[in-house]
Amino acid sequence: MSGIEAVRKIVETEGQAKQIVEDAKLKAEEILARASEEAQKFRQTSTAEAEERKAQMLRETRERAEADARSSDMETDSLLENYKKLFEDRKEVAAKKAVELVLGG
Amino acid sequence: MAESLEKLHYRILSDARLKAAGIVEQAEEKSKQILEESRAQAQRDANDLLSRASLEAESIRRSILSSRIRANRLRILEEKNKIVQSVLKSVEQRLSDIAGTDQFESTLKRLVLEAVEAVGTDKAVVKVGFRNAEWKSLQSLGQMLPKGTKFLADETAIDDLGGVVASDPEGKMSFNNSFKARIERLDNQLLTTISSTIFGE
Repeated sequence: MSGIEAVRKIVETEGQAKQIVEDAKLKAEEILARASEEAQKFRQTSTAEAEERKAQMLRETRERAEADARSSDMETDSLLENYKKLFEDRKEVAAKKAVELVLGG
Repeated sequence: MAESLEKLHYRILSDARLKAAGIVEQAEEKSKQILEESRAQAQRDANDLLSRASLEAESIRRSILSSRIRANRLRILEEKNKIVQSVLKSVEQRLSDIAGTDQFESTLKRLVLEAVEAVGTDKAVVKVGFRNAEWKSLQSLGQMLPKGTKFLADETAIDDLGGVVASDPEGKMSFNNSFKARIERLDNQLLTTISSTIFGE
């Protein structure tokens, strides 16, 4: 093998070696890009799930609070009914006591 | 020479492959790290979001309940007030009609004596006025008053419901003992009496 041919062979080999490293760099870039993409997707999914859980939590809280509020309405309705009965039963006595107070106070 | 060249060729490629493997391995390590950090961050973000959501939910719950409870308290107060006002109206009606009852004379005397005493003069001017009062019964009262007292019977009810107003002869000092004035003076007691009788509070 001549000297020129040997040098050519080494240069060729260096080129192959450079290509191997370049390929590896490209692969590394792809790996990192894929990781970033996957991470991004993961964050998006996680956020979407959390948002969904939040919406559900707020909806359930609202429903429970509305149910409690309706219960308060019903208690109040019942109390008001009771007041009407009390009024019918005791209005005469109350008016009589009040008149006595005004006349004799 | 050919052999050493072959070795060099092999060595160069071997080094390159080793370097390449290192680059890929490093990228895979970095990739793993990115994913782990991403997962951890996503978990923290989700926890933060749910934690804020929990506070927001509590705030919504309180807001719904407190506004409804306030509205219901208002309904209760309005109903109680309506009932008390209804009784008060009935009281005013009864007082306004007192001239037709057997309580009239004794009540009239009491009102007049209180008013005269409050004015504190021997020459008080006493004005009485009740709805549907008989002139005779008013006149008979006039005869029972202390000497020097001037008696005036009004044809209309004083302050709408009836009553008595006493003053000194100059009109500088007067005491309003009409039912309306007495109701105003007894306002709190009346409300308490009516409320406790009806609602037992």
